[in-house]
Amino acid sequence: MDLGLSGKKAIIVGGARGIGYSVAEILAREGCNIALCARSEDSVKDAVAELGKYGTKIIGKPVNAKNADDYKAWFEWAIEELDGVDILIPISSAGGGLGSEKYWHNAFEVDVLGPVRAVDAVIETMTEQQSGSIVLISTTSALEAMGGPMAYNAMKGSLLTWGKQLALHHGKDGIRVNVVCPGPIEFEGGNWDMIKGTMEKFYNSQLRQQPMGRLGKPEEVARAIVFLASDAASWCNGSNLVVDGGYTNRTNF
Amino acid sequence: MNKHVMGWDQTRMDVKRVQEVWRDDPEKAGNGTPVEKAPDPELGTELIPAERYYSEEFMKLEWDRIWTKTWLLGGRADDLKEPGDYICTDIGKESVLLVRQNDGSLRCFPNVCLHRGNRLRPEGIGNVERFQCMYHHWTYGLDGNLDHIPDMCTFHQGGPPGMTLPSLPCVEWASFVWFSLNPDVEPFDDFIDPLKQHIEPYHPERMAWKRDITVEWDCNWKTSVDAFNETYHVQGIHPQLKWYLDDVNVQIDCYGKHNRYLIPFAAISPRVAMPSQIPPAIYEIMVNAGMDPAEYTGRVGDIRRDVQLFKRQNGPEQGKDYSELHDEQLTDDYHYTIFPNVSLNVHADDIMMFRQRPHATDPNKMYYDIWMFELVPDGEEWPERVRHKRFKHGDKTIGQVLDQDAFNLPFVQQGMQSDYFPGLWIGDQELRIRHFHKVIDDFIYGPGGKKPDDI
Repeated sequence: MDLGLSGKKAIIVGGARGIGYSVAEILAREGCNIALCARSEDSVKDAVAELGKYGTKIIGKPVNAKNADDYKAWFEWAIEELDGVDILIPISSAGGGLGSEKYWHNAFEVDVLGPVRAVDAVIETMTEQQSGSIVLISTTSALEAMGGPMAYNAMKGSLLTWGKQLALHHGKDGIRVNVVCPGPIEFEGGNWDMIKGTMEKFYNSQLRQQPMGRLGKPEEVARAIVFLASDAASWCNGSNLVVDGGYTNRTNF
Repeated sequence: MNKHVMGWDQTRMDVKRVQEVWRDDPEKAGNGTPVEKAPDPELGTELIPAERYYSEEFMKLEWDRIWTKTWLLGGRADDLKEPGDYICTDIGKESVLLVRQNDGSLRCFPNVCLHRGNRLRPEGIGNVERFQCMYHHWTYGLDGNLDHIPDMCTFHQGGPPGMTLPSLPCVEWASFVWFSLNPDVEPFDDFIDPLKQHIEPYHPERMAWKRDITVEWDCNWKTSVDAFNETYHVQGIHPQLKWYLDDVNVQIDCYGKHNRYLIPFAAISPRVAMPSQIPPAIYEIMVNAGMDPAEYTGRVGDIRRDVQLFKRQNGPEQGKDYSELHDEQLTDDYHYTIFPNVSLNVHADDIMMFRQRPHATDPNKMYYDIWMFELVPDGEEWPERVRHKRFKHGDKTIGQVLDQDAFNLPFVQQGMQSDYFPGLWIGDQELRIRHFHKVIDDFIYGPGGKKPDDI
């Protein structure tokens, strides 16, 4: 199956590690030119250098989604450098946390306003070219209990509603918007790597809840994201794809 | 990249990253706790004979040449506030009474009635007006004088010589009381040197009892001391601590009889990838310092330094006087071994210490005393003294980290008795173990007197 990604221009917010890096790597391998960002200069540098081996154009600069002006300027720079944008995948997250109101602000600014500002930054270009694909990243924690009543879960849940409505609104311009809900994903330096090391009992309890007895790997989510981002998914619009190895209990009618 | 303070080649250790940690500048450390690396003693690479951990013969040598010769930790001075307050503590076959006198001074006596040898008091703390033996009511004053013998006229030989309990050396230092079974023991100041300058800036006297537990452990007392004398076992037995401390950027210093290591806390071990989220144990450190982790915008790798700066700035208004401590002491673990048997973790806000006492008769058993103290901020009420708890190995949890140590030690003790285990194969990260056993050798065999066949 041809994904039709060769020569496409993709922007990944949070592409230096974990699922984001894995998405970048698959896209690069498929022939995409890529602009990526993260908060840390070192990790962006490392990712850009590493992804260069696939021979496409890879650019990156650090930026913090919380800083609206810098963030907007970063998108202007990225779209200009790539000479357009076909694919947007904003992944950055402030992560979870319980007990402080500040977590709501963090989650709103990074997990909600991050994608909102990113979509605002690309939608004009995509509308002009009458094509584009946006994949938002929610979480199975928006669907079922995980870690307590957290801002992260609720704010990620709002992306499902907003993503569907973006799809309804921009479909006429050839822009598709889909959402992916990953379950627990483990990679070196990731949250579940730390949980495995620091809260072994909790980690093992999660493994027991997994039908396949393990957590997911970044590339297993990344492949689903890349599929939805690609022309191969041309009839997927406004969908919510749960990629969790069967972890969630609910039936998705 | 700075060279590792111990000269270890980090790039060849089992690490994922090479990490540089912020340290106070020894040049600017002033009069407080020394920060600088002490010169390493030449200790060689010989095996440490396993037999000394289980041999009854060696146990006897230790009794004759260490326990009855040197200074020993007896308890906490704040348990001896009023005249008549006493601490009764056992060491091996002996037991002593540390007693606050009417004039405020401290005295120490063997806890034994001169009549038939009965123990005057059971182990523990208390307050008395006099020490009266339960057996026949021989009665001693707080000063050890034998004030009353019932029916004295029936003892034709009179009372025991001097009509007093023997007096043993004792001192108070840094909120702790120390004693010796040796009337001719060296002056305490010579014994403790140079640790006064190290420990006093922490002001242990501003800290109150938090935990007081004694566990009978199924291992030799040195097996326990060794376990706390190195950080090499973190990657083995405490994997969760890799998201709490840096077990690679450790400084080891040996001084005379005592030694220490400095280990960065609120740090991520180079043995794991740097996480992007704050690990739970470091989250706790931030909360305890008065920070809101949700507000924290820096990277996880910057937290240690930012906690130091936060505590430096906010300590005074929290009633915590850190003025005599260096920045790194506001987060890090300064861990001392005070010869022979005290493992002392000193922190800006608390002390976690272990007193490791030999069993009276069995080299394969010991008493593990856990003493924890917490800084009482200025203006806050001094908390009620926690009650002493006592149990056997594995009966109850003593916290995740110590449980991990406790679980393992009996297997070490058993394994060391194998005919196929000649002795301990010690590496550079375990330099303090080597130093500790060198001090033991000097006590047992005389300085430099240990011969190749000696255990």
